[in-house]
Amino acid sequence: MKVTYAKAVGDALKEEMRRDDRVLMIGEDIAEFGNIFGITRGMLEEFGPKRVRNTPITENAIVSCGVGAAIAGLRPCFELMYSDFTMCAFTEIFHLMPKWRYMHGPDFKLPMVIRCASGAANGAAAEHSNPVESLFMHAAGLTIITPSCAYDAKGLLKSAIRSNNPVLFCEPKQLYQVKQEIDEEVYNSDYTIPIGVADVKREGSDVTLVAVGLMVPRALEAAEKLAAEGISVEVIDPRTLAPLDTETIYNSIRKTHRAAIVEESNKTGGIGAELSAKFTEDLYYELDCPTCRIAALDVPMPYNIPMEHYSIPSVDRIAQSIRDMLK
Amino acid sequence: MQYSKEFLLDVHRKLLTLRQMEQKLLDTYAQGRVPGHIHSGIGQEASFVGILSTKKDGDYWKPTHRMASLPFIMGMDEDAYWGELLAKKTGNSGGRGGMLHIGDFKTGYLGMSATLGNDAGVCVGAAMAIDYDHKDNVVYMFMGDGTSSRGPVYEAINMAKIWNLPVLFICENNGFAISTPVGYSCPVDDALGGRASGWELPTRVVDGTDVLAVYEAAKELTDGMRAGGGPAILECKSYRWRGHFEGDQCPYRDAAVTKQWMENKDCIKLFEAKLMAEGILTQADIDTFKDSFDKQMDAAIARAEAAPEMAPDEIYDYLYAE
Repeated sequence: MKVTYAKAVGDALKEEMRRDDRVLMIGEDIAEFGNIFGITRGMLEEFGPKRVRNTPITENAIVSCGVGAAIAGLRPCFELMYSDFTMCAFTEIFHLMPKWRYMHGPDFKLPMVIRCASGAANGAAAEHSNPVESLFMHAAGLTIITPSCAYDAKGLLKSAIRSNNPVLFCEPKQLYQVKQEIDEEVYNSDYTIPIGVADVKREGSDVTLVAVGLMVPRALEAAEKLAAEGISVEVIDPRTLAPLDTETIYNSIRKTHRAAIVEESNKTGGIGAELSAKFTEDLYYELDCPTCRIAALDVPMPYNIPMEHYSIPSVDRIAQSIRDMLK
Repeated sequence: MQYSKEFLLDVHRKLLTLRQMEQKLLDTYAQGRVPGHIHSGIGQEASFVGILSTKKDGDYWKPTHRMASLPFIMGMDEDAYWGELLAKKTGNSGGRGGMLHIGDFKTGYLGMSATLGNDAGVCVGAAMAIDYDHKDNVVYMFMGDGTSSRGPVYEAINMAKIWNLPVLFICENNGFAISTPVGYSCPVDDALGGRASGWELPTRVVDGTDVLAVYEAAKELTDGMRAGGGPAILECKSYRWRGHFEGDQCPYRDAAVTKQWMENKDCIKLFEAKLMAEGILTQADIDTFKDSFDKQMDAAIARAEAAPEMAPDEIYDYLYAE
C-alpha cells in the first residue's frame, strides 16, 4: 500500500490512543480543524474533547502542561504546530522536560512527546522554516527524533509515545505528502522502531553520508546519481539525533574512511558541526579527508521561493559536494 | 470559624516547625555547611501553613524558591531533606537538584523550576490529570510577587480557566523581587489578584501574617475548586524579613520598616499569643518543642554530613528513566 508520511503520523497517534487511554493530545487547531496539515482529522470525534483539546496560542503552557500531566500519570503527546514555535517554549523544552527527573530524582517520570512540523516549505520564510534539532541537541536528557519516511515515522512515534522519557519529535513538513510503498500487513502490525538506532538507507563503500529528515530522500537521490559515475555512497539516517547511534555511523566510516553530513538547518552550530567534531575526536586516523558539512546557508530563510530552494541543500548540491570531497 | 484544639495545635506545630527549620537553615548556611544558596522565608510561615492545612491526599503542590523548609511539614523524610540540601546521595535526587528541588513525590510534590513561573503550566498539567480521572483534588501553585510579572504565569491561568481546572494560583507577596519593590514592578495594588482580575476567578487577598485568615480564604477557595468551580487566586501579603539570599545586606530598603514588621507582625508570635490567651498553649510547650526539634535536626544534619556524595561515575544517573 502507498502511505503518506502525514497518514503514518496520524495512524500512529490513533493506534496509540486506542491502545492506551492515558495518551492524550493538546495543541493549536488540532480538534475540529484536525491540525493545519490534517494529521489529527477525525480524532476529536473518535476520542472526545478530553483527549483531543484545542489550545489557545500558548506554547509555554502547552509544553509545561505536558510536563505536569506526565508527572501526574498521563502520557501527553502534545503538538506545537511549527518547529519554530519551540523557541516560544525554549525554557520548557530546554530546562523543564529534560532536567526535571535529574533535578528531582527517580520518582519522577516524564512520558511525554512534543510534536512539531519542521523545516521550510512554500515560502513560509524566516520564522516558519527552521529545523531545531541542533538547538536542542545541547539539552542533555532530551530525546530528539526526526523520521525521514512514513514507515519510520509511524514506528518511531509509537516508540516515542511508549517511552518514559521526554521526546521532541520533528516531522519535516515537505515530507508530509510523500508516499511510501509499505507492505499492508507490516503497516498494520503494530510495529515499533527502537529509539536510538540509526538506519543504513543505502549501502556504499566510498563515502558515508549522514542525512537527516528531509535530506534523506535527497541524499538517496544524489547517491543514485553518483553511483552512475562510479562513486559508491553509504547513506545513514540517524533517525534519533539524541541519543545518537554513533556505533552504526562509526562502523560505516571505518569502512569508507570519508564522511559527510547533510542537514536542512543552518551550517553554523548545526548537526554537522557536532558530528564532524565527533568524527575528528573519535575517528581521526580513519579519515582520508576532511569531513564535509552540507547544510542550509547561514541566512534567515528568504521568502522568495527560488532563494528558499537555493538556501537548502538540493540533490545537485549534495552530489557536487561529494564529488568535491573525492577530488 | 470554630476550630478544634487539635487543629490549632497542629497549625502551631507546623508554623513552629517551619520557623525552627528556617532558622536551622540560616545557622547551617552561616557556618559554611550548605554548598548552595539559601532564600530564607522566615517570617512568612503563616501563608504556607494556612494554605497547605487545606491539603488532602491526592492533591499536588508546587513550592516557590522561598521557604525551603516547606517539604518538611508536607511529610518528607528528614534524611532525604538534609541529604539533598547538603548534596549527598541520600537526597531525593542524590544531590543533583539542590535547594530549589527538594521534595518527596509521594507527598504530592510536583517539583519546581528555578526559571520562576515557567512551572505554572506544570500545575495546569497535573490538574488536567486530576480532571481526567474525575477526582476532587486540587493543585497548589505558589509564586512570589516577582514571578507574578512573568508571562508564562498568565498563559497557565488562561489555560486553567478555559478548561476549568483546579489550580489555586497563590501569590506570596512579600514586597520584593530581589531588590525591586512590588510598588515599582506592579502598577496595581494586588500583584496577582489585581493583574489577573480580568479572568474573574474567585479571588481572595489576605493578610499573610494571619494564619487563620489565610486558612479560611484557602478553605473557601479550595472547597469551591473541589466542587468543580475551576481555578482560583489567593494573594497573601507579607514582608520578606531577610535579603533575597543570605549575605544580601538590603541597601535598597529601609531597615526600620523591616524591624517594624519583625516586631509587630510576626505571624508566629501573634498566633501564639492567641493560643496562650485561650489557654491551649504554654511557653513551656513551645520551649519543649523547640528543644526536641533542634536535637532531632542536629542529629539529622550530622547523619547527612556523614552520608556519602555521588561518585563521578554516577553523574549521568537519573538522566533517563527505564
